[in-house]
Amino acid sequence: MGDAERPAILEVRELVVRYGSQTAVDGLGFSILRGEIFGLLGPNGAGKTTTLSVIEGLKKPVSGSVSVDGASPIHAPLAVKAKLGVQLQASSFQAELTIEQLARLHAGLYGLDLPRRALRDRLADVGLEQEAAKPFKKLSGGQQQRFSLMVATIHDPPILLLDEPTSGLDPQSRRQLWDRIERSREAGGSVLLTTHSMEEAQAVCDRVAIIDHGRLQALGAPGELVAMHRDDPRVRAVARGDVTLEDVFIGLTGSAIRD
Amino acid sequence: MTETAASPMPQLGLTLRSLVRADATVLLRSRQALILNFVLPIIVLVVTNRGRFGNPGFLIGMAITYGLLSSALIGYSTTVARDREAGVFQRLRVSPTPTWAIMASRLGVQLATNLAVAVVVMVVGSIIHSTAFTAGDYLLILVVSLLGAAVFLSLGQALVGLVRSATLINAIGRVLYILLILTGILGSTGILGDDFKTFASWTPVGALINLYSAVLNLVPWGSDETTALIACLGYIVVFAGIGIRWFRWDPQ
Repeated sequence: MGDAERPAILEVRELVVRYGSQTAVDGLGFSILRGEIFGLLGPNGAGKTTTLSVIEGLKKPVSGSVSVDGASPIHAPLAVKAKLGVQLQASSFQAELTIEQLARLHAGLYGLDLPRRALRDRLADVGLEQEAAKPFKKLSGGQQQRFSLMVATIHDPPILLLDEPTSGLDPQSRRQLWDRIERSREAGGSVLLTTHSMEEAQAVCDRVAIIDHGRLQALGAPGELVAMHRDDPRVRAVARGDVTLEDVFIGLTGSAIRD
Repeated sequence: MTETAASPMPQLGLTLRSLVRADATVLLRSRQALILNFVLPIIVLVVTNRGRFGNPGFLIGMAITYGLLSSALIGYSTTVARDREAGVFQRLRVSPTPTWAIMASRLGVQLATNLAVAVVVMVVGSIIHSTAFTAGDYLLILVVSLLGAAVFLSLGQALVGLVRSATLINAIGRVLYILLILTGILGSTGILGDDFKTFASWTPVGALINLYSAVLNLVPWGSDETTALIACLGYIVVFAGIGIRWFRWDPQ
């Protein structure tokens, strides 16, 4: 099935979000097709996490619309949340609970009353069966990410939102996570991920959107964006040798450090 | 994760059961909660028995009151603030769970624990003070304890509604706790005069001790007890109103 024939599972249109007088997202629009891995790239404070918060139904926009598989997180937040698998930037779970208890809790919140064997199987799928009796905080960084991803996908959602999923991971854990993201796409799921890593965007994303100051700067497949902006003077000014996606990103969003 | 995966809305019963089970486990595993809920009231009972501070019904009522106060003001509010700061609520809120269910589960577990504490304190108190209570006494004490727990949990909720920082909430909770206890003790003894005694009887601790004393047949039901009941209901409405109106789920 070609891209033109694939229906969109997520559509963001003319989204505007403000915190007080500050505009965090300013007329942003993009759509994600079924079975697509889509990267949302931008420097710190560009509006990535805020955009995710609106899609997750946690933040109300000033204007614009979002549709997740036909439902609006603004008007039907619980229905949308049931369709989403979410891995937050800093996943935090109750410190007193073991990861098996946490898995049981989150399965229940998504309507799954899983018996103990099924919970153990889920943990075994991510290599955590031996850690079932440990609290989340006692896991290594890679284990925490695998557990968070397991919780996010426990209900088999049609779309997965990952907020900087490989931040702080070693190369082995990062590759494992990429493999899992790839497998979820092969199973027909869609993924929206935010990342600061251009290597990650190039490795796993079908398309990326580069945003800055809440506005869309560029949208397309990583290779297309490089080809499209190869001769842009802003990109040429920062390129060292062959133009890369990182050069395009820095050329379009500027070299100044963001906090 | 599949293209055709159905994502129906979870049943509310399963959602609530999952939340209550998790919240009860958290409470049972917390050493601080255990001390605040069970150990502290027992210590109050033992200490006041040695000093012969008053009649058994009054002392048992006071021990339950301090247990309810500490578990709500230090235990509940600190845990809610800590979980908010750590992003636990954010994690729960991205699931298809109504926010009222998240809070109702926590409050329900806390209320159930408070009622269990009231029964334990009554049993231990009756042994220490060699006093027998009827089934009716137990029932009345449970009703007053439910009211008291609601007063103090509302106060704890108001605190987490008005203040964001978990550290600050912990500090304010402890200061408030000491102030309310001192007001209750000093007010009930009357050593600071009648005006202070009247003022103390209107405070949450003073009002609740008055109600406990009344239901344990220490004093006949009169205007003081009616005042205490009105005060408790008023506190619940005001504090819960503040706590719900200004409560923020997100850490920042």
